[in-house]
Amino acid sequence: MKTTHLSAWEHEECILGQATPEMLGHLTECAPCRAEIGRLEHGVALYRKAAMEWSSECLATRPQQPHMAGRRGLPAVALRWAIAAAVLLVLALLPFHVGSPRPVQRTAEISDDVLLQQVDEQVSVAVPASMESLTHLVSTESGSGAGAVTSAPGGKHIVQTN
Amino acid sequence: MEALEQLIHAGQLSPVRHRMAAELEDVNTLCSTYRSRIYRYALLSLRDPDLAESVTQDCFLKAYKARNEFRGDCSVATWLTRIATNLIRDATRSRKFQFWKAANSTAVDAGAIADRLRSPGLSPETFLMIKEELRQLWDTVATLPGQQRSVFLLRFVEEMEVLEIATAMGLHVGTVKSHLHRALTAVRKAMEGTK
Ligand SMILES: [Zn+2]
Repeated sequence: MKTTHLSAWEHEECILGQATPEMLGHLTECAPCRAEIGRLEHGVALYRKAAMEWSSECLATRPQQPHMAGRRGLPAVALRWAIAAAVLLVLALLPFHVGSPRPVQRTAEISDDVLLQQVDEQVSVAVPASMESLTHLVSTESGSGAGAVTSAPGGKHIVQTN
Repeated sequence: MEALEQLIHAGQLSPVRHRMAAELEDVNTLCSTYRSRIYRYALLSLRDPDLAESVTQDCFLKAYKARNEFRGDCSVATWLTRIATNLIRDATRSRKFQFWKAANSTAVDAGAIADRLRSPGLSPETFLMIKEELRQLWDTVATLPGQQRSVFLLRFVEEMEVLEIATAMGLHVGTVKSHLHRALTAVRKAMEGTK
């Protein structure tokens, strides 16, 4: 056992868990050295407590998880197989797609025809339904004016321009 | 196929290493397990909650991207700490950090932290003494040189072993011990100032 007190460096070694049996032997019998080490340990513990407190407080004000969503561990091999399968599927379907008629375009043509027909019908109706009674009145009074009013199949009066 | 995957598929990883590799594959679990630890280390090093958050996110992103480089020769925690150490070092070198450090705008009030730590049975005199001790300690640790502070934080806050710290920081064990002794000397002086 050392007869003199432990040095500051030896106190630090004790705190770092590196004390030799000789140092430990001294500490069992030397209250001042124990007090010195205790004081240093108290300082370190106080700092740690404050550090934990501050960190917990800061962390509590932040979102639970960093923005890492979507990076969940899908194994890279599985992902590569999935991509390869998708590419093969597209390649396999490609000949059928190229050889087949173009139904989308055909549908578009049909709907165009219907639309044009509807426009023609609307254009030919010169008088709105709400004013049909007036046109009837005008045609009755004017006789053969700008055009004769006839009765359409739907009950509407159509101006014939001749 | 990447090296790590090859080893996994060839069954050449030990169960422990296999578990570590699997841990790195699930980034969400990785974050929830180690986030508070990495954030705390970054926060105490940088003293800036926003910058610490940024470093923490970068750390997990970098770890996930580099997961195939992980050889399992240290714990996942040590590996993450190593990545965080590099990111913290880069952050402290940034002009933005230097500017705010000079302006001292992110300084933390140690007194306010002490207030929150106050236990009910403490006498006002004792509390004032502890508050002053903490203020001295807080400032002392903040002004330690970068590596010394990192080593101090990893040992006395994260309670890592000297060998783990050496691995995490890429330093020799002797250098880590030397940093620890110097940091403790500074702590002792800070404590003496409050006697
Ligand atoms: Zn002694």
